[in-house]
Amino acid sequence: MMRQTIVAGLTTLLLPLPVSADLKRLDDNAMADIQGQSGITLEMDVGVSADRVSYYDDGQGVHLEGFRVGSSVTPDAPAHHEITIDVGQDASLNLDYLVEDRRIEFGDVRLAGAPDVSMGGLFLDQSLQGSLTMRSGGATGHGYTFDTAYTMTGGRLGYRTNGNEVFLDDITLTVEALGTTLDVVGNTLTLNSPSVVGSLDVGAIRYSGNSLNHGRSTDATTGALLPSYGGLSLDYDLSSRTDLTAGGRSGEGLRIDHETTIHSANFLYRDDTHALALRDMSGRYQISDLRLDVDHDWKGRPALALTLGTLEGDLHIGAIEMGANGKSIGQVNVSFLFQDQVFNGRTYTNAVYLQGGGHPDAGPQGLRMAAEWSLSLADLSYTEDGNRVIFSGLQSWGQGDITVNVTRDETRNGTRFYDGLRIGFDGVKAGYRINGLKVGDENAPLQGGTELLLALGFYPAYEFEMGGHITLAPGGATGEGLTVNSDIQLHSGKAAVIAAPYDEGSGEIPQKGLWLTEVEYDGHVRDMTLDVTDEGLVLGTGESWSTMDIGNVRVGDKNSGGSFGRLVLQKFEKGSTMTIVPGGAGDVCAGGVGSSASACAASGGIWQQRGDEGITIRLKQLLAPADGSGRKNAIAWETNRSSDASGNAVNGTGTQLVLNDIYTSDGGDFDGDGRDDNTFGIRTDLAVDVYQTKVVKKTDGADSLGVTGNRGDEKIMDSSVAQGYRYVANPTPEEILDRPLGFAVKAESRFKELSINRVDLVHPVGGTQTAIYGIKMQNFDIKANLTATPIP
Amino acid sequence: MTHRAGIAGFGLVVAFLATSSSPVLAELASLGDDALSDVSGQGGIYLSGDVSINEMGGPVENYHFGRCDDATRKCGARLAWRLKETGGWMVLDDIRGNFSFEGLTLRVRHVDSGFGGDGELFNRDVLELGLPNTVRFNDVHFKIAASNTARPTDPGFLQTDIFTVEMRGEVVMEGNLLVFPTGNP
Repeated sequence: MMRQTIVAGLTTLLLPLPVSADLKRLDDNAMADIQGQSGITLEMDVGVSADRVSYYDDGQGVHLEGFRVGSSVTPDAPAHHEITIDVGQDASLNLDYLVEDRRIEFGDVRLAGAPDVSMGGLFLDQSLQGSLTMRSGGATGHGYTFDTAYTMTGGRLGYRTNGNEVFLDDITLTVEALGTTLDVVGNTLTLNSPSVVGSLDVGAIRYSGNSLNHGRSTDATTGALLPSYGGLSLDYDLSSRTDLTAGGRSGEGLRIDHETTIHSANFLYRDDTHALALRDMSGRYQISDLRLDVDHDWKGRPALALTLGTLEGDLHIGAIEMGANGKSIGQVNVSFLFQDQVFNGRTYTNAVYLQGGGHPDAGPQGLRMAAEWSLSLADLSYTEDGNRVIFSGLQSWGQGDITVNVTRDETRNGTRFYDGLRIGFDGVKAGYRINGLKVGDENAPLQGGTELLLALGFYPAYEFEMGGHITLAPGGATGEGLTVNSDIQLHSGKAAVIAAPYDEGSGEIPQKGLWLTEVEYDGHVRDMTLDVTDEGLVLGTGESWSTMDIGNVRVGDKNSGGSFGRLVLQKFEKGSTMTIVPGGAGDVCAGGVGSSASACAASGGIWQQRGDEGITIRLKQLLAPADGSGRKNAIAWETNRSSDASGNAVNGTGTQLVLNDIYTSDGGDFDGDGRDDNTFGIRTDLAVDVYQTKVVKKTDGADSLGVTGNRGDEKIMDSSVAQGYRYVANPTPEEILDRPLGFAVKAESRFKELSINRVDLVHPVGGTQTAIYGIKMQNFDIKANLTATPIP
Repeated sequence: MTHRAGIAGFGLVVAFLATSSSPVLAELASLGDDALSDVSGQGGIYLSGDVSINEMGGPVENYHFGRCDDATRKCGARLAWRLKETGGWMVLDDIRGNFSFEGLTLRVRHVDSGFGGDGELFNRDVLELGLPNTVRFNDVHFKIAASNTARPTDPGFLQTDIFTVEMRGEVVMEGNLLVFPTGNP
């Protein structure tokens, strides 16, 4: 056995990757010398450092600065490696390796064209044990074939800016990839992995705002465990193929084509002892013509450019489980296609231009992504208890800067920052729209139904310009979880409350609807926590306030439709919560009253057993009284405004009806603190299911699809007839089983007391007059059980 | 003062509203199937279901409010408002009941024909609320009252019930409610 200690060896850094440029084919003579020996064991303490590693593309460079390989435990010390090399009877090269506490890191990524700012640093800690077998062959007979298997333990993967860092801690990764081939086909390097099986476990995702900490699970000052966002687990069985070709979008660079098939996968997010699980996943995606260049973005800023031809794929999630018993809300299927497309008369593409800097006030380190996207088509379907609803024809487009910084709680250079991973939006102009819902299958007619989800703030179409940030801090209401602080501003928004399809099958048409246009939105959230609990997924808001100033409420076209006037919605909530609970409405008496099938039938209702799956969303909105600083709940409607020279209505020049200072309470001061208690709020339970419903013909004769029937006849689904349904005067029990499926929403809103301090009428010259000196609503429990189907 | 002009910022046209009474606007006849076939567009929704208020009672339980099976308490909802700063309160009290229907439709529609020729001149988009043919009311109940306090639990509470409305049975509601803006927004 031969022992050798090598101080530095870049080759070993590539372990356990199946490709290593330094691992050259051994010729026959060399093989002959080695066969019969027991192999070579190399023990190495590797310590590598470089001030700068640079990549140049058409003369433009990107630098990895502060590059280091060494110990993850002891700064400046090397990392220990042991590699046993053996040559098998089939002339294969076999490597068994052991890597102890290795850190690979670079402190900064900097573009040569923008030397004053940088993208921040990355580090990877790992201990590895595994094997790699390489033999000649490949897919063409002229390449290489690899078998590799390894286990990584004690891993960390972190991102650091300006002394703050977020990192995946306590990573355990196992990978087995057999029969991987590497070939050169024409001018393309092809890596084909027919089988990659493994698992990933992340013990915690941690945050540090102490610059003395670097890649440690505990705080250097206090010794306490760093706070955690929670942990992750993933297992997977997939295959993939990657083609690498020289040549960027312009001149030098790299072209990447890639496809992956996910044969099976399961994913868990852990929050303390609770889990949110995505199980029985499968799918595929294909990336075509992804180019990597060092280039400039559309504003001429130096950037590392990733520009995409197309990305298409689909994903099936067999069950989404949460809560104490791991109850499933149902299945989700997503198909997507990203490719160039024209939206609003402009061609959007898919590209990300990586730049240094992040938010300019957060310090010199950070990531700025000048991004443009074009989601040409996506369908999102949700299946519960075997019934399916499709959010059909989802499209999205946009362009703007997204910044990423790891920040701490401070005001720096005049900007307020919070602990956590800050995702900023700078001049993002974006939009999305859906074509409609389809219930049952892809061939079902388009229908509305999202109107029933307005209470959740869901709009079927929205265009806007966005600025602001969302900062994700570690720790929920208790233990692990997330805390969100955000300040978001939207400008020139156009949101659909009701939207007709943008494509009825004959090409794109102007999307008609009821629109909120010229929207200016300013919203703030403080200390909103996200936790997985016994009950489900819980969002609790410390404090939130917003103003949504809707310049016009238009009917018809979003740009030229007639306007009902201006609407201003102000919200101010303290302690509100939203809980997503698995399971829908359960047993329902539709159209009647009763808690049993017999009682329901006796009242004229239809007893429906909507099954175990489905989603229930529980909202508790605590509307706070006006606090004197302008934060309050209010609704103002303004009409009869003057127009400017362009014919646009001028806000504030018309007459207004104002519901001023709306708030909830429990109906008295029961705790004796001198103020009415406000713990109950408005409690709304929204249960969403896909279920059958009774649809009755409203007129005699043919309907919009030419199916005839008489007024009062019931619509019964029948695949044997042309349109898939017929009308029946008196359906039999068997026919009743074929009632059409609908998008079923059962809602219940309750409040103890809701007050409106006053109702004012405001004239631009005459001033404010109060019309109603107080409204009090008490003891309300309103239930609505509605099922949406297409209009026959 | 022009306060009223601000409130009259949109128009409501009842195309054909027939309960037990005559059509409200006779010249706005219901569209035939031919006219309906000219209405482009899929989408929109047909709603079936029911809405109830305080079916079993509300969330407040005290010496005034309670569950509906407790004859000593009121289980309905209560709405109080006052028109003078120091005046008494008008009250809709003990509100409860439910109604159900099939065929309430909602969509955005372009009207450019029909209505005895008026549609061609109208030529714009409207929000159409298609009324269900039949709405079934079950034990709908409320009182009109006057009170000296906003809450029935306030000290010195006094209330005079003026009259009570109860409603049950089927009401025929046909036609469409078309909502569109008029005037200066």
